[in-house]
Amino acid sequence: MRRAILPLLLIAHVASAATLRDVKDPKKIAEVFPKNAKLRVVNIWATWCVPCVAEMPELRAVDAAFGPEVAMVGVSADDSVPDADRAKVAAFLDKQKIAYTNVYYRGTIDDLMNFYRLEGTIPITLVFDRNGKELWRHDGPVRSAEAIKEIKKLLGRMQ
Amino acid sequence: MRKLIVTMILLAACANAEELPIGATAPKFSLVNAVDGKTVSFTPGKVSVVVFTCNQCPYAKAFEPRLIEIAKQYQPKGVVFYAIDPNDEAQYAVESLAEMKARAVEKGYPFPYLKDGDSAIAHAYGARVTPHVYVFDGTGTLRYRGYVDDSAKAAERRTAGLSNALDELLGGKTVSNQVTRAFGCTIKWKS
Repeated sequence: MRRAILPLLLIAHVASAATLRDVKDPKKIAEVFPKNAKLRVVNIWATWCVPCVAEMPELRAVDAAFGPEVAMVGVSADDSVPDADRAKVAAFLDKQKIAYTNVYYRGTIDDLMNFYRLEGTIPITLVFDRNGKELWRHDGPVRSAEAIKEIKKLLGRMQ
Repeated sequence: MRKLIVTMILLAACANAEELPIGATAPKFSLVNAVDGKTVSFTPGKVSVVVFTCNQCPYAKAFEPRLIEIAKQYQPKGVVFYAIDPNDEAQYAVESLAEMKARAVEKGYPFPYLKDGDSAIAHAYGARVTPHVYVFDGTGTLRYRGYVDDSAKAAERRTAGLSNALDELLGGKTVSNQVTRAFGCTIKWKS
């Protein structure tokens, strides 16, 4: 009986993780954002990317610093390598206490790079307005203080 | 004068952001092969493939079998392959010479696996990620740079960057797709 309960507990635990939505077409990532957000922050990362993992607490702090006017979405590129594990991504987000929605990207990495005009390295963080116009991007891990300052500046310009 | 020298050093340090342009001459190197401890030097004269790769990156691991396959396919045609690990072993023990040797032997690398201990060669090439590929013609002139191919998943592969470039070069043609965007793990620079 104990053996039967343990997997059930594990499933319940994973189910409580941050929302992880599967997306194949990069154009559909924008649809994940709530419509009322003035600014949309996209962070592209992977569990196998050492600087991305180190960056997570900084992103959590950025997310916590704003209300619904700023929405964040993480885009996991984990699935671009063979034998990727979706459950590992969900468990990682849970462990990191990431509250914002994440996308489990199932398209090709070339399509993702073309869509966001990436140079080939992650993490990268981009800020868009609600019309999809890019306002800021940061290659490499962000520092929360710097990102919060930039986002506040962008919000100020929108008043 | 001192200020000028410091500025020049800083500029040189920043210059690595620029990837080697097509048509550039191969930056020379003499590096230790982790497999046998012997020094291997870049020698122009044949079509050459220089690939920055490493032990820890899932992308490098995913492309490794294909790189071995391509090397075995093109070495009989006279193409020379050099695999270079530019990651800092002081930060990541898995990138040490001993670990490199273990991997190369286990996987049966048909090419030398060279340690770029101070990441200087990766800087000289403007490499950003592992794996990152550079192809030179017989005169040591860069003719292709970028990915092995466009997907780490064989089933999703649409463009074969490296083997296309080699076929065209060996056929005496101009490489049609000279620059592709390599995706992978950032190089763990020696700090």
